[in-house]
Amino acid sequence: MGRQKEDTVRQQGETERGHSETEGGHSETTWGDRMRTNIKMTAAPYNYSYIFKYIIIGDMGVGKSCLLHQFTEKKFMADCPHTIGVEFGTRIMEVHGQKVKLQIWDTAGQERFRAVTRSYYRGAAGALMVYDITRRSTYNHLSSWLTDARNLTNPNTVIILIGNKADLEAQRDVTYEEAKQFAEENGLLFLEASAKTGENVEEAFLEAAKRIYQNIQDGSLDLNAAESGVQHKPSAPQGGRLNADSQPAKEGCSC
Amino acid sequence: MEAVLSDVVVPEDLLKFEKKYNSELTKGAVSKDTKFEYAWCLIRSRFSEDIKKGIVLLEELVQKSSKDDSRDFLFYLSVANYRLKEYEKALKYIRTLKNNEPGNKQALELEKLIVKALKKDGLVGMAIVGGIGLGVAGLAGLIGLAVAKGASKS
Repeated sequence: MGRQKEDTVRQQGETERGHSETEGGHSETTWGDRMRTNIKMTAAPYNYSYIFKYIIIGDMGVGKSCLLHQFTEKKFMADCPHTIGVEFGTRIMEVHGQKVKLQIWDTAGQERFRAVTRSYYRGAAGALMVYDITRRSTYNHLSSWLTDARNLTNPNTVIILIGNKADLEAQRDVTYEEAKQFAEENGLLFLEASAKTGENVEEAFLEAAKRIYQNIQDGSLDLNAAESGVQHKPSAPQGGRLNADSQPAKEGCSC
Repeated sequence: MEAVLSDVVVPEDLLKFEKKYNSELTKGAVSKDTKFEYAWCLIRSRFSEDIKKGIVLLEELVQKSSKDDSRDFLFYLSVANYRLKEYEKALKYIRTLKNNEPGNKQALELEKLIVKALKKDGLVGMAIVGGIGLGVAGLAGLIGLAVAKGASKS
């Protein structure tokens, strides 16, 4: 239903276009905000108390989509082709006794997508920054990913460094210790994980969520601030960048 | 996948990539990457005119690229046409991509949604045709009645 509603509303917006386009062009934004409000009102009741927006970033081939798939489907995707643009997944998990819905944008690692995928960083509450423990180059590029993440998210965004493919111990090219040190120096959470065996995958998403929740509890994360990346339900704060990415609750798929 | 289909570009981003595209255009040649970035933003616009513009750019890119290079363009051509409710075109593009990469999860998911939308449209179409059918039948009945009346009069 939520989806149908949205379609109808969008159609109306398109017919209105003729007028708005001549006046404001791309800068016209109010209609979209109205649409989102409509969706939000029809989407209640919620079976979770918070929504956290996540992004997954890192070089191509490090296993970002496989981590997401393992997290949402509890399955390993062998032979996963390079992601086209962005992918999206959701899962509700319990964080300190609260039901939290994670909305996860999985970005393509290929360079040609990088400029545009940067827009998905906005309003992220958590970021998984992934490298491949068997390929040093993917670790060497972390500073560039971190720069993007820092510049394009807010100061409270929780970043967790993930060394993926931990099952391939024999091919290890980056030691646990050096990555741990890099994480500490940069104030990041850190875990080695394996999308293949599932080891630490759940934990990676959960650790970040716990830290975000902690930031909410101690007041360092202002829920009303635009781009906090967090929505509280059912009394969701009005406005804020995050709303742009929120989906109707009905659409709780893991696509 | 629904989220990807309904994701709307932030106006500032669209403007940013439009500027980049236009500045390359005035200098002579637009790079493939710039054209794609702009097209990707255009097709996420909520204005159908923008989406159509994005489709033109993506079609140009597909024509000039090899089979291996065209996956991104085909995928977003399908997304763009879905957003315009041009489901048959959307299906054509995603099936081309699927032929090149049979196991592609993104292509399979999108195809499923397009087929679902087509079915829904088909049902609505059938209801409309059905309605017209009933109308025609009713009209024929009335004419028949009139003719019969006329005949009985004479």
